[in-house]
Amino acid sequence: MARLRAWILPACSVVWLGGAAAGAKLLWDHQTTPGAPGSPPRLWPAASRLERTPGRATLLLMAHPRCPCTRATVAELASLVERLEPRPRIYVLLFKPREFPAGWERTDVWTAASRIPGVTVWTDEDGELAARFGAATSGQVVLYGADGRLQFSGGITSARGHRGPSAGAERIVALAKESAAEATTSRVFGCSLIARDAE
Amino acid sequence: MSAFQALGDAGAPVATRADFSADDREQRIAARADALFRERREHGLRRLDRVFPLLMLGQWVFAILVAVLFSPYGWTGKVKAVHLHVYVAVFVGAAITALPLALSRLRPGWAGTRHVMAASQMLWSALLIHLSGGRIETHFHVFGSLAFLSFYYDWAVLVTATVVVAADHVVRQFTWPESVYGVVNPEWWRFLEHAFWVVFENAFLILACVTGLRDLKTAARQQARVEVLAESDELKTLALEMALDEAGR
Repeated sequence: MARLRAWILPACSVVWLGGAAAGAKLLWDHQTTPGAPGSPPRLWPAASRLERTPGRATLLLMAHPRCPCTRATVAELASLVERLEPRPRIYVLLFKPREFPAGWERTDVWTAASRIPGVTVWTDEDGELAARFGAATSGQVVLYGADGRLQFSGGITSARGHRGPSAGAERIVALAKESAAEATTSRVFGCSLIARDAE
Repeated sequence: MSAFQALGDAGAPVATRADFSADDREQRIAARADALFRERREHGLRRLDRVFPLLMLGQWVFAILVAVLFSPYGWTGKVKAVHLHVYVAVFVGAAITALPLALSRLRPGWAGTRHVMAASQMLWSALLIHLSGGRIETHFHVFGSLAFLSFYYDWAVLVTATVVVAADHVVRQFTWPESVYGVVNPEWWRFLEHAFWVVFENAFLILACVTGLRDLKTAARQQARVEVLAESDELKTLALEMALDEAGR
């Protein structure tokens, strides 16, 4: 028993140090690994079901309604919208597999997005619209200018599921204000939107 | 010391001996005050060493609940899998709690124990901030934890906690600044702005630690004085009674 007691502290020390280091590495990798980048068309697709108001920019957010990381994206969208002047037309497209029951996509992400003034939330059946706009990762934002040209493609969070300022949001604000930014892309952090059949 | 220990070999009253000189009395008060202070300090440290693991066990349960309720699954299109946060909350949370729990049982009152508590508490802050998606409100956990740690009345413990927090920020600044500051190229001194608020709180907590220890010493000295004076009075009374007995024979 005494021998066992002598081993408890060294063993716990190893578990403590190892656990903290392994946990930090796991979370770090998870947080900082971006999803697949989007490949949106350079011009607003003419065949799109989404309406574009002539003379006004259009911003799309394509997201998975049940991706935990997307809550941060929607929260950042709410902050971003307040900073955009002139305000573009904004759509949030939430992915839903066709065979899943109606209302599956009506999660807290849907509710939070619906509460943002001036935002239209749509169900994106089987991710058709996401595919048309080249989105592969939940949280993908695209901004089309008033002339229908692509201005920005990327994410608006700085890490996976992490709130706070981000390079993507800053670039969108700069584009809206000055029609120019240091870059027109940013990394996207979120779950994959690519529909795979259940295994 | 009992009253009988103050009697001479022949049982003669000793109230007039040098035992009751002012210098000797002050020495006895100082020795007793030191013993009382050490006893109370040790008791306080041991009690806190038992409380912090309970706090960490509570945080562990809370972290698991946060992970299960807010990020139960990660998705790939229509396929879901248990989210990394759930595994991290269960296993990393257990690892962070293991050493404080063991130390509280095996080495309560030891200086190293409270430094491990401080480092672990800051690791818990980091874990909870991650699990909550970097919510600014969760950052208050750092400040609350520093306040709890100050109950040890040991400013060095606050330094350990601050070093752990600062190390996290410095590493992030140089490897992934966006995750802390939201910009790709922050100024090199940016971490100092965040550190300032921790130092701001620490300044007051360190002052509270120093004052708390001083109050503890003052209370111990006051009690020691009362005890020694009461003992002296008891001896004097006893000596007087014995003298009266002698005179009555």
